[in-house]
Amino acid sequence: MELNNNVLHINSISKTFNGGEDFVVNNLSLTLAKGKIMAIVGESGSGKTTLIRLIAGLETTDGGCIELNNTVVASDLIFVPPEQRNIGMVFQDYALFPHLTVFKNVAYGISKSKTKKQQVEAVLCLVGLNGFDHRYPHQLSGGQQQRVALARALVSQPSLLIFDEPFSNLDVNLRIQLRNEIFDIIKKTGVTAIFVTHDTQDAMVIADDIIVLKQGAIIQRGTAKELYNNSVNYYVASLFNQFVMLSNLDLECFGFYSQKNKTSALRLNEFILNENCEFSLRSKIAKSQFFKGQFLNTLKLQSESYISFYSKEDLTDKVVHVGFNKKNLLVFDS
Amino acid sequence: MFRFKYLRRDFNTWSIYTLAIVAFIMIPILTIFFKLFSGPGESWSHMIKYLLLDYSLNSLYLILGCTILTLVFGVSSAWIVSRYKLPFQRALEWLLILPLAIPSYITAYAYAGFFDYGGSLEFLLRNIGLTSSKFSVTNIYGLIFVLSISLFPYVYVVSRAVFLYQSGRLIEASKTLGASEFQTFFKVVLPMARPAIVGGLVLVLMEVLNDYGAAKYYGVNTFTTGIFRSWFALEEISTAVYLSAILLVLVFAIIGIERFLRGNRSYEISGKSDFKLPKLALSPGWRVLVFIVVSIPIFCGFVLPLGQLLYWTVLTFSKVASLSFVTIAFQSLGIAFLTSLLTVTFALLVVHFPLWNRIKLLSKSSHLAILGYAIPGAVIAIGVMIPTLHLDKWFIKVGKQLFDLDLGLMINGTLVVLIYAYIIRFIAVAFNPIEAGQLKIGKSLSESSRLLGKGTLKTFFKIDLPLLKPSLFSAFILVFVDTMKELPLTLILKPYNINTLAVKAYEYASDELVMESALPSLCIVITGVIPILFLNRLILNGTK
Repeated sequence: MELNNNVLHINSISKTFNGGEDFVVNNLSLTLAKGKIMAIVGESGSGKTTLIRLIAGLETTDGGCIELNNTVVASDLIFVPPEQRNIGMVFQDYALFPHLTVFKNVAYGISKSKTKKQQVEAVLCLVGLNGFDHRYPHQLSGGQQQRVALARALVSQPSLLIFDEPFSNLDVNLRIQLRNEIFDIIKKTGVTAIFVTHDTQDAMVIADDIIVLKQGAIIQRGTAKELYNNSVNYYVASLFNQFVMLSNLDLECFGFYSQKNKTSALRLNEFILNENCEFSLRSKIAKSQFFKGQFLNTLKLQSESYISFYSKEDLTDKVVHVGFNKKNLLVFDS
Repeated sequence: MFRFKYLRRDFNTWSIYTLAIVAFIMIPILTIFFKLFSGPGESWSHMIKYLLLDYSLNSLYLILGCTILTLVFGVSSAWIVSRYKLPFQRALEWLLILPLAIPSYITAYAYAGFFDYGGSLEFLLRNIGLTSSKFSVTNIYGLIFVLSISLFPYVYVVSRAVFLYQSGRLIEASKTLGASEFQTFFKVVLPMARPAIVGGLVLVLMEVLNDYGAAKYYGVNTFTTGIFRSWFALEEISTAVYLSAILLVLVFAIIGIERFLRGNRSYEISGKSDFKLPKLALSPGWRVLVFIVVSIPIFCGFVLPLGQLLYWTVLTFSKVASLSFVTIAFQSLGIAFLTSLLTVTFALLVVHFPLWNRIKLLSKSSHLAILGYAIPGAVIAIGVMIPTLHLDKWFIKVGKQLFDLDLGLMINGTLVVLIYAYIIRFIAVAFNPIEAGQLKIGKSLSESSRLLGKGTLKTFFKIDLPLLKPSLFSAFILVFVDTMKELPLTLILKPYNINTLAVKAYEYASDELVMESALPSLCIVITGVIPILFLNRLILNGTK
């Protein structure tokens, strides 16, 4: 077998439920190179969690093959149990053992050795929790629990570290802070990592590579920029952009005539508030609300649809010119 | 659907253990099934001609009568204590569970002693200068009343839980839409609680069909008394097996009807509601009336039989309390302790083996193990006895042929068989709290442990077991009390030289020494009160 630099190689794996009728993961293939961070995004039920559970050995595959460090760990004939896969996982609910102290939680995965104490202390220091060793999980905040979970997963030096919706239980500010900290730690340790998230912002900030899943299959794979600028379809675009859907009738209000069987959309920040754009209309603003440092305006088109866009100032009851340039219009097959 | 393609990959040692434990538990049921093909015994035709109709009709009357009475007692008292402000509210809530602490055969003895000729009632009336008219409870109507009054808490407990947890918001919604209290109860509360109430009712009916002591004492022929007659009087195991099979069909029919009635219906309100239904204040007149209504089942189900037992105990204490009684009490406690320990261990295995085994079909089949609670004790006893007798015969044959030894029965008539039967009967009792505990712990802790390099057993001992301690403790207590109370199975399978308090009480009552049965009965009641208070605390904690 030709050895390569891939930590993970998945070849056409599937997972079915209901006696083989429903595919949760459908003929999916991917590779992940050493030291890279990959994010898996998709809406609920897209198969993200099942995919990582298959990789970790918490579920068995129904066809296909998974290789970890060039060794087959799952196929139709082989199943390597999770404890032998050398994968670290940070669960959504952290899964800290409630009856063990922070020290014992972190030391859980290390076999008896003289350096055990030093190893645990070093990793607790890395996650900024030195001095917390004697506390129990219930005595920690959500963010601290998250750090313990990370320390516990890192201490046994896994070849692959998986995060299952790691920030979903945290409030916005803590989420951003922790996201940056975890990114730093991963880069420092050089561990290969997979993040599963339904929040594309997390994915875009943290990952080298993003995979978009739908109905158990990969729809698109690329960098954050590629997915934002060149979404292959409406589903991907809707995950990475905040936009307004525009029907052909809506577009005609701006003087733009679209092809049939196409779906069009425009990002909220790409509406232009003057008449010097390629397509525009003049209308009264129905509502202008302050929203995160700017104003979110709503306007009713002649087609009876509503559109929203941002402006720097309050436009309530003002009559404005609003439009767009053709190059900014996102057009997908219906 | 099972796919053979992955059999080689997914079959592991845990699959074998899962299979083994399912087989271990299923043996008695399968035995009854296969024994049916070897034909009925000699007295079967006599049984069909003269007794079967009697057994069937009596069992049906019991089912029907107990259904109506337990629903009336259980649902009405649950609704009253969950909806209205009453004096001694807290006390009423747990006192209504206490009739469960007295095994129904003991309640039956107490009622017979109270109402029958020369009983306590006559004595009391005579003391105040009245003469009582002839009134006997030792008939099928008395049996229906006695079984209902001692088993209605099964319906009360589930109904109260539904009324407390589920109905609050909907009752308020119904009221704001203009419905009266009466309309709300019949149109919203009752239909919503129906699946749970039917669940509780099924438990009552299982116990009714399982009953031997009360029916025997009241002279009512049922399938269970029939099994005993075939076994002890006629010494005909095939007839006992045929009766057991009919009884099993009846049990499964009840379970089937319950499933059918429930269908795919689930009235659980989504989301965790911490809303507690505010209790309504009643006018003084209504308060007294409602209080009396709730007190009736407490008086009939607990106070009266307990009073009768205490009275008898005072009369017979010096006669019954002897060294041999203390020995029996210790034997009873010892057997219950050992049974609880083993049953909890088996239940733990039935919960965990399927988690570690990768063949889903096998994991699902492990739930068959909890079928035992639905099967009457007498049936389990027959189902256990037949294969163990075969095993004993085989030992005797092998001993003779290979070693020229004259071996006697090595398994039958020993504690091994009795405890094996207890395990099958009570494994569901231990399974439920352990499974609930495991679900509460969730999968992610053990998965996390596995991913940190620990195998299934290490994960079990380091993570699951320490966290399951409270559930194991509840399971242990519940099985302990059930074992202390158990009568029909114990009567058939107990070793000659060993006795239990339940059997001693039964023996006294059968020998026309019903007063003497009070002391062993009282000991059983005292052990029964503990878990009931414990159960009530669980419910109260749940509502906080």
